[in-house]
Amino acid sequence: MKLKVTTNILTANEKIAEGNRALFDDAGVFVLNLMSSPGAGKTTLLEETIKRLKDRIRVGVIEGDIAGTDDAMRIDALKVPVVQINTGGACHLDANMISEVLEDIPYRELDLLVIENVGNLVCPAEFKLGEHMKAAVLSITEGHDKPLKYPIMFQESSALVINKMDLKPFLDVDVEKIKRDVLSLNPGCVIFEVSCKTGEGLDAWIAWLQTTIS
Amino acid sequence: MHEVSIAQSLLDVAVENCRTNGFSTIKHVRVLIGKASGVMPEALLFAFDSLKEDTIARKADLEIVEVPLRGECRECGKSFETEERYVLSCPHCGSVEYTLSSGRELTVADLEVE
Repeated sequence: MKLKVTTNILTANEKIAEGNRALFDDAGVFVLNLMSSPGAGKTTLLEETIKRLKDRIRVGVIEGDIAGTDDAMRIDALKVPVVQINTGGACHLDANMISEVLEDIPYRELDLLVIENVGNLVCPAEFKLGEHMKAAVLSITEGHDKPLKYPIMFQESSALVINKMDLKPFLDVDVEKIKRDVLSLNPGCVIFEVSCKTGEGLDAWIAWLQTTIS
Repeated sequence: MHEVSIAQSLLDVAVENCRTNGFSTIKHVRVLIGKASGVMPEALLFAFDSLKEDTIARKADLEIVEVPLRGECRECGKSFETEERYVLSCPHCGSVEYTLSSGRELTVADLEVE
């Protein structure tokens, strides 16, 4: 016989994400899900952000990678709480992975918890973790065609950090097209042009982040 | 790329619904997959067939119904539909003030069980 179901396939994940979100709300911590391709500069942006914010607010990080602890060690060197998740092959973090490490990170004592997702422009955008906001990083070396090739990530993100702007003189990349396409996909997206290497543009990102989380 | 996770969740939903309603075998699963959901139907079918083996859905076929991206423009009031994976502006008037009503579905619609 036929059985009507009409259930969202990701319901199980979304229920766990709602549970995480309730814990975060209760603790008064703002949670940011940071996503990008591998090598766009998520960890470097995070390092530069933490350096500028850690005397003003309490920051912690959950690092997601398929394998290794390189990123967690870089964050640990800045003396802020960090926990590393190794997905062991999975191309994204899901809500359950976050739920399982929450006892290892003192999120109740934080103002900002950043979840650095697995480097991947496709899958992380589909899985809610319980975050308050998603942000994407795109480095200009990846090319200006990426927003339209991977629309979901850019539609889901409240902010986009365009990184490696110091390399612009050496590339044929059309940064205006990146901005135009992202704003067409997601008119409310706030865009920052930065170089984590030179520090260019970081002040605007930091100021915006601070206002957003408070 | 994440079709294996999606296929596993889909199987979990199907198996749970089958059991809760007192049935023991799943013969057919129909899912709605939005064109803008980022899921590749071929990869989903492959993952489903690999994962179903040791479950009560091992004899089940997966039927994927693709749902096009549809929306309505808040400026000109007209509705639109496209086979593309994204919309940049209203195809009628070019406005970016539009609301999408379908295209991101990932839904188990119904099951054939016994």
